[in-house]
Amino acid sequence: MSQCSQKYSGSGDELVQLGNQKKLMLSYESNEKLTWCSGCGDIGIRSALIRAFALEGLTKQQVALFYDIGCHGSEADKIGAYTFHGLHGRVIAAAAGATLANRNVKIIAEGGDGGMLSEGPGHLIHAVRSNYKMLFILHNNENYGLTTGQPSATSRQGYKMNSAPDGSPLAPLNVAELVFSLKPTFVARAFSGDVKHMTDMIRAGLNHNGFAFLEIMQMCPTYNKATPSDWYWDRMQYVNQLEGYDPSDMEAARKISMDLDEKIAVGLLYRDEASVPFYDRLKSREGMTTSPFEEVTHHDITPFLEELR
Amino acid sequence: MTRTTIKFCGESGSGLLTLQQIVTKAIKSLGFYLHADREYPSVIKGGHSMFQIDFGPEPIYSLSNVIDILVAVDSPGLVNYLQDTKEGGVVIHSFDRLERVSNLSKIAEEKKLKMVYVPARALALELAHTDLVANMVLLGFLWKVLGFELDSLEGPVTEQFKSKPKWLEIDLKCIHAGHKLNADVELLTFSPERPTEAPESILVDGNHALALGAIQAGVRAYYAYPMSPASSVLTYMADMANASGMVVKQAEEEITAAQMALGSMYMGTRAFTATSGGGYDLMTETLSLAAITEVPFVVVIAQRPGPATGIPTWTCQSDLNLAIYSAHGEFPRLVLACSDATSCYELIQHAFNYAEIFQIPVILLTEKLIAEAKYLVPPFEHGKIPIERGLVTDPEELAKLLSTDRYKITESGISKRWVPASAAAHYYTNSDEHLENGVLTEEADQCKAMIDKRMRKFDALEAALPEPTVLGVEKGADMSFVGWGGTKNVMRDAILQAKRQGRSINYLHFDYLFPLKTERLKQFFQDNSTICLIEGNFQGQLGELITNKTGLTFHKKFLRYNGRTFHVEEVINFEL
Repeated sequence: MSQCSQKYSGSGDELVQLGNQKKLMLSYESNEKLTWCSGCGDIGIRSALIRAFALEGLTKQQVALFYDIGCHGSEADKIGAYTFHGLHGRVIAAAAGATLANRNVKIIAEGGDGGMLSEGPGHLIHAVRSNYKMLFILHNNENYGLTTGQPSATSRQGYKMNSAPDGSPLAPLNVAELVFSLKPTFVARAFSGDVKHMTDMIRAGLNHNGFAFLEIMQMCPTYNKATPSDWYWDRMQYVNQLEGYDPSDMEAARKISMDLDEKIAVGLLYRDEASVPFYDRLKSREGMTTSPFEEVTHHDITPFLEELR
Repeated sequence: MTRTTIKFCGESGSGLLTLQQIVTKAIKSLGFYLHADREYPSVIKGGHSMFQIDFGPEPIYSLSNVIDILVAVDSPGLVNYLQDTKEGGVVIHSFDRLERVSNLSKIAEEKKLKMVYVPARALALELAHTDLVANMVLLGFLWKVLGFELDSLEGPVTEQFKSKPKWLEIDLKCIHAGHKLNADVELLTFSPERPTEAPESILVDGNHALALGAIQAGVRAYYAYPMSPASSVLTYMADMANASGMVVKQAEEEITAAQMALGSMYMGTRAFTATSGGGYDLMTETLSLAAITEVPFVVVIAQRPGPATGIPTWTCQSDLNLAIYSAHGEFPRLVLACSDATSCYELIQHAFNYAEIFQIPVILLTEKLIAEAKYLVPPFEHGKIPIERGLVTDPEELAKLLSTDRYKITESGISKRWVPASAAAHYYTNSDEHLENGVLTEEADQCKAMIDKRMRKFDALEAALPEPTVLGVEKGADMSFVGWGGTKNVMRDAILQAKRQGRSINYLHFDYLFPLKTERLKQFFQDNSTICLIEGNFQGQLGELITNKTGLTFHKKFLRYNGRTFHVEEVINFEL
């Protein structure tokens, strides 16, 4: 069905590795039936996530997943791991508290365009600035799916939607443009129909030492008829296939991410290899080998009393 | 004379905070008991502010409204506080054109005040070429009036300015110059009673005590957004972070602070946030989330008068109802309230224990009065309150866990909790109503069973809480009060003073407010005849809670909601 001239080609190590990782992959299955619409982009994202965990050799005692409220949040009990399904707009803040408390597990936070760009953009802005160590996945399906298709900050202008019978009056927000204005340390983009590519982007994000921002442009077959699957396939451009593309060049990355209409850049847009996350900037934690969750005991306050005597 | 009361006043930004540090430390070093607090407007410069210190040879818990000595650093101070000075009291000022303000002279005359002009500004300009240090000249002079040795002042001044040697030299010169001034002979007879032996003590404000209590309790992460009067908890935590090893983060707003605290608690450490009523309003959705996910959660509300911005730098007890009834849905919670520095230190530790054992939100109330007032208290004890977490940590037990153990429907309502990733049995922490393993459900019977389970924790919690305590005589008092929070301080002073006058006052104090304990309360009503309510709010919120639950009613209600504290004289003279 795709008219896309390009195809993503990964490193090809999946098959070799998967032989050893089959059990791991199956361990992430849950007994709960999937409740998404057929053709929903969330199904592909879930598959990519499990594939990435298995390929990274991560057991379910090495990851913790945080979900916002929205269609993507239904994943919270559809994956066999420790999950936290919080409140609308707040997922990044809760995950930030978690990543600071436990340094031993990989923190993955997921949210939709509604929760992240309307209810809680402040959390996103300051998490990028703080560079909390986590992988954040933005499920961008350009509408409020769970409340039956109202326009979000990324909906196409003029497209008729629930609560916008004359078409959404606002121009869509380019979230990458917002994130680049905040001096991020990792920005990637992928499409929910391309599981193989998403898997690689998730793996890259899991290995980033800081806030890894991954935008997944997501199909919504029920409410978003403006940008169906083919629309994306026709426009995607894998940056790793562009000659001379340098993901350490933020200015180039920012520029190429601007276009959301003609050629949509996907892939690892930008990565700062020297990223230092918030926790590692804290003088109070210098040289500590334990995590805060391992340190709950009576801490002696008597030295502090001296100046009060 | 049992206590001496001195009020220092001036414009905001005139150095009163520095003066307070020095004076309280100096008085403490002389072996006195003391209590000190400050009042100031919500501006950094301009506007009048004051601090008051009450000291004497016996324990003092609250401020008197009978001012023995007023020290006015500048003319605005004099204008605003002259009328508060007691009849025949002493006023030390450096306002050389007093006679031009007819109103001031009139008040001074009517109250027979001893007005003492000190050329502090001129002296300061002469010694330091700036009038910024005029307050140090006044301080030196005050010490002469009080009959104190100057070395008791030199120590604290040296400590205060140790990092600024140039200023230290100037300040020491100024206090000496002030002390050398000739004063009216009559004034020198003013000499407070000296204590016989110095109590072993520390001088600490409530927010500092709370921060120390948190460190003691094993709190390893603190998140907050600045808001008076909670802001200094963040300052203290940040200043102590390098020594305590704590993660301290100023969040972008209160919602984030609450969510980060919850995220950290979920991951198995101890974390919390403190704010005032307005900031807490923003946090209430997180409280609700903590309740349904049964992740322990501790939040401190430092009360100031509302609604909205209200009277931001003043005190009150008007957020009890907010603490009890806030956040959507029905769930068990604990509300408790600090009363002084020691209780700040201890109750924050208990708050964490209750939050973790019962897996509930715990709201700890404090007040501007407690947050910033200086209390002279016995040094805080290490290891006195055990850390109780209610966590599964034994490797053998962890290995046997099932996912359904996490939210198991139990008799007590309490299920097993283990740190995420610590056991092979994973669970879902779900803000949707859920089954025993956290899987979402909307089935009627399953939802009811889980809600019933959570609500059963309320009964278990109520049974575990301590009863309120009686201060003063157990029964048959001439006048009885019931209250909570910082009111305990003024009641302690009132009980002592009334006793000296041959009258008996007693007071039933609640540390733990919700769920409300009623056994001791009912006994108190049986044992005493004239029971009044004393609260820093308009509605008499604890009174309503008591009446609703027990049917007991109060003889009278002593309520205050203008931002000011209760004074000991007002309590003693309360008309029945």
